[in-house]
Amino acid sequence: MFGYLQVQKSELKVREWEAYKSVYCGLCRQLGRDYSFLTRLSLSYDCTFYAMLLMSLERSCSGFQSGRCRFDPLKKCKFAACESDSYSKASALSVISVYYKLKDDLADGGFFKKLAVRLALPFFSRWHKKAAKRYPMLEEAAAAMMEAQTEIERDPDAGIDACAHPTAHMLGTVLSAEASDDGKRRVLYEFGYNIGRWIYLIDAADDLEKDVKKNNFNPFKNCESEGLREYQTSVLNQSLARAHAAYSLLDTVDFKGILDNMLLYGFPSKQNTVIYGLQEEKDERSV
Amino acid sequence: MKDPYEVLGVSPGASDEEIKKAYRELAKKYHPDNYAGSPLADLAEEKMKEINEAYDAVTNMRQNGGGAGDASGSSSSYSGNSSSSSQFYSVRVYIQRNMIPEAEKILDSTPEGNRTAEWHYLKGMCAFRKGWSDQATTFFQTAVNMDPNNQEYRAALNNVTNQRNYNYGGYKTGGSTVSNTGCTCCDICAAYMCADCLCSCCRAGC
Repeated sequence: MFGYLQVQKSELKVREWEAYKSVYCGLCRQLGRDYSFLTRLSLSYDCTFYAMLLMSLERSCSGFQSGRCRFDPLKKCKFAACESDSYSKASALSVISVYYKLKDDLADGGFFKKLAVRLALPFFSRWHKKAAKRYPMLEEAAAAMMEAQTEIERDPDAGIDACAHPTAHMLGTVLSAEASDDGKRRVLYEFGYNIGRWIYLIDAADDLEKDVKKNNFNPFKNCESEGLREYQTSVLNQSLARAHAAYSLLDTVDFKGILDNMLLYGFPSKQNTVIYGLQEEKDERSV
Repeated sequence: MKDPYEVLGVSPGASDEEIKKAYRELAKKYHPDNYAGSPLADLAEEKMKEINEAYDAVTNMRQNGGGAGDASGSSSSYSGNSSSSSQFYSVRVYIQRNMIPEAEKILDSTPEGNRTAEWHYLKGMCAFRKGWSDQATTFFQTAVNMDPNNQEYRAALNNVTNQRNYNYGGYKTGGSTVSNTGCTCCDICAAYMCADCLCSCCRAGC
């Protein structure tokens, strides 16, 4: 996962922004507790989204506590308290996805990148083992994704749907594991599938220039450059629209304002930034 | 049954006007058009039914048992319009039961010469159910090109076109340059669809 699942801060209420930050800080703390000080650096917005969604689904957020930030002892932080293992699960997902990302970099990164990865990988394999042992479901889904992805990248005729499928399926599987009944399982699968698809495609759109230069795989490589941005926008929009339709059936209560904000403002705004190079949060400056 | 006020997301002290507004917003959100072809269509329909029942219950309560709510009966008219005369009847049944691999198997074994507009439409439905939205769009487009007068194919294409515009939150994707160009053909199409929706709403209400 790559950090595209952001909020649009200018459209959040102040208390919602505080709550969002406190989930972020809570997850950071859990990463430190479960693994190591260093794994805190792997914290991403995507995993924050996952943690917040889990807490919202399980209604397990029990309030906010004050504490101090480990990175800046002078700063006071609020932490969202959680009664279930949402934070641990999100930490595990974070560690597992960073581990696979590193392995992927090792396969097609440059010389210096490979060197750095070789240094970091032994640490991460240890943490990865620990995470995989605690949440075998996450590990299975991630491993299956990597395998399917490698397979699909060998096929030169694979369309964008096929290329996005492994990532989409992984997130669909991971989220649907939270469901209590069959209806909810289908809703969560559809939601996760389309969010995963969106992440994969926006990452591909973001990396297109670099991948063309380095001759790496990219699903948009075979597309005509004329009208490419419009095409990318409509494909991404479609994923969001389907994710939103599924999300509407979830009946979230906790963190609803923040999740709504992400789906309706945060993700489209991120999409505009990536595809059209527009400034993020530009409406904040005009106020 | 759940508390109807809770379903509508209003307090029992809300005015009739507020209840109507909340109902309209929910009905718009879970409208079957938003879930056309989606694997979650049945769940959305259930939700819609729940909202309709809650609204009926509230209006009945307020009118002391007199009068039926004006919202009932609209959901039944939205069920899929599968034609039994279709040559791909079994494919349609498979899709309805969410047995996509079986449906695709029949479609893929259809010889090149028999691949009609309906074939493309159903191929699109399969792709859509799997989440392969981009392929689905291409198939729907081909189906409409082959048979421009078929409302079913056109509705499917309109649905995906709408999704590709995604302006639910009022946030324009597509960059500032695009949003300033005024009336594009997409806008005309969208406006037409809005007008169409309004018309069908009125008819359902009458």
